[in-house]
Amino acid sequence: MTQLVQVLILGLLIGGVYALLASGLTLIFGVMNVINVAQGALFIFAAFLSWTLWKEAGIDPLLSALVTTPIMFAVGWLMYVGTIQWISGKPASMSVLLTFALALVIEGVSGMVWSTTSHSATPGYFASSYRIGDFYFPKAQVYGCGIAVIVLLALYALLRGTWLGRAIRAVSENVSSARLVGVNAHNVAALTFAVGVATTGAGGAIASVLYPFVPGSHYVWISRLLGIIVLGGMGSLPGAVIGALAMGVSETMTATYVSPRWATLVPYVVIMVVLLARPQGIMGAKLREDVVV
Amino acid sequence: MRSALSKVLVTMIAVLALVAAGCGGDGGGGEASGEPIKVGASLPLTGDFSEPGVAAQQGYTIWQETINANGGLLGRPVEVVIKDDQSDQNVVVTDYNALIQQDKVDLLLGTFSSLLNLPASAVAEKNKMLYVEPAGGSPEMFSRGFEYLFFAQQATAPHQADLFVEWVNSLPDDQKPKTGAYVIADDPFGGPVAEGIQKGLEAAGVKTVYSEVYPPETKNFDAIATAVAGQKPDVIAQGSAGLEDGVNLIRSLKKVGYSPQQFFQASTPSFADQFSNAVGIDNTEGIFYAVSYDPAAKTPGNEEFLAAYRAKYDTDPPEDAADGYAAAQVLQAAAEGVGSIDDQKALADWLHENSVETILGTLSWDETGAPQQAFLLAQWQSGDEEIVRPEDSATSDTIVNPKPAWSK
Repeated sequence: MTQLVQVLILGLLIGGVYALLASGLTLIFGVMNVINVAQGALFIFAAFLSWTLWKEAGIDPLLSALVTTPIMFAVGWLMYVGTIQWISGKPASMSVLLTFALALVIEGVSGMVWSTTSHSATPGYFASSYRIGDFYFPKAQVYGCGIAVIVLLALYALLRGTWLGRAIRAVSENVSSARLVGVNAHNVAALTFAVGVATTGAGGAIASVLYPFVPGSHYVWISRLLGIIVLGGMGSLPGAVIGALAMGVSETMTATYVSPRWATLVPYVVIMVVLLARPQGIMGAKLREDVVV
Repeated sequence: MRSALSKVLVTMIAVLALVAAGCGGDGGGGEASGEPIKVGASLPLTGDFSEPGVAAQQGYTIWQETINANGGLLGRPVEVVIKDDQSDQNVVVTDYNALIQQDKVDLLLGTFSSLLNLPASAVAEKNKMLYVEPAGGSPEMFSRGFEYLFFAQQATAPHQADLFVEWVNSLPDDQKPKTGAYVIADDPFGGPVAEGIQKGLEAAGVKTVYSEVYPPETKNFDAIATAVAGQKPDVIAQGSAGLEDGVNLIRSLKKVGYSPQQFFQASTPSFADQFSNAVGIDNTEGIFYAVSYDPAAKTPGNEEFLAAYRAKYDTDPPEDAADGYAAAQVLQAAAEGVGSIDDQKALADWLHENSVETILGTLSWDETGAPQQAFLLAQWQSGDEEIVRPEDSATSDTIVNPKPAWSK
């Protein structure tokens, strides 16, 4: 019983970290119909920035998110203006090709700047745990969850409580109508993409403490993150959270009670089962594509 | 009279030709001249195996510079052509085909990891070209009856930890571990290492309480560490390739708060500073690993290699760079032994029949290309990597046992 609870704790905590990493991806897809395959490469890039600030200036990797978030916002905005805007209105598959190319470029640039050797930020709390009774709570994951909650609440507040948020939602529901009522769809898309990429600032900070990373580390992450947002319903923030927690718990449960060998497969089995019953994902809205297109 | 003169001339020409051939043959001194010998390789310079890939590239480069400064190979300059296979099994096949058919390289050197060498060596075999690989000790490599394949390290994966198992068996009964846990990567190299240890320790009466295979893309070892800690094993052995898996298992064990009496990891602890930085230097104490190369070794050519590497990269060579250099040394020995590079079969036959002095020590091979020597057993002690077995190569005369607890 103790072990079961412990495994649940570990699953939920790592799920929280997944939610943080998936939030930007689902935001960008929901509004722009762009599948940003470069999201993983971007947060590894942000992890390198956090590592540099930690190594060179002694700034705690988690605090460094305050610096890297605006930088990643700028990177996202430039990416949109320089590349993504040219494929707006094109099928989502085009965005996969484009952003995969961008991911390769980012990986290459990271390799040139930081070399391909493994990096890890090891502040005092890395690889240590809080202990309550028989249970342990890994500190990096606890902080990661905390930051995930802050970032997700901020995104939620932005979407629900500001004019920009209303504009973003308007564009995501119907671009033409949004334009008719005076929303500058181009600017809204640029800002959304930049905000989505900005979340990699916090995600990268956590990633730099959690596991060692090399420029090529993004491949393992991006497939898992795509799985999470498909499970939760593409474009839905609460869906990404539920999907991430489900992924975290099913992974750790399988690794403990079945075999680690199955741990990477079972979450995808869960996704298949969910999609058979609910093709739009847990929280995804049903779209009438025949009318929308 | 005329015929006498021409006889003298002919004799002089013949003598000169012999002298010239003699100079070329010994390969020492003199300028290399003529058409360069092209040596082709594809390495994982990007992607998952980029770390060892880049290190192997450094090893190949140092070899090229050293040999060209010493008169070249068979008197000809050497040009190493390196492609990037992105750690991808499909790309590596394309690369070696292109090296052979488009770049028309004269000789091949191998790539890194069993995973990539498995398909790449098949391309070389099909084209009947000598294939000396710097890494790739999986038993699968040598079960295919290849004639042109040679592995330029001391032993295959199942025997990587032979000296560790031997040492555990030599412990007095009250110190001998009773239970063992084996954390095994689904990797053609890492898997057999851990399975080799498990077999050896079980034969010595160590009871297996945990033995699980995990997929190589696993990052989160919290669940595995929790399950292992629940069994309280005396000895833990992990078989994996590359740096990250081992770091992540250590981090997770530290988070759970479980430290075994003896801890062996297949490749992670050989990554020098990258390893100690990633787990924290205090947490390295007492961890065992097997290693092919020791910078302090008095092996032939090591001094020259060390000096050249330090001058170029300003640090001590990682094991993978030394392995790359050694593979090139094996290739060089075959070419010089045969005296020509025209017949690849002759090069392979020569290696099957002879042993080669490398910076890793003397290497020789069985008919499958599997090496017949033993790895060094190393241990982290007070923040340094020390060789502890065999005793005549040891750099430290103590062995830390039991392993101390993780730092707070």
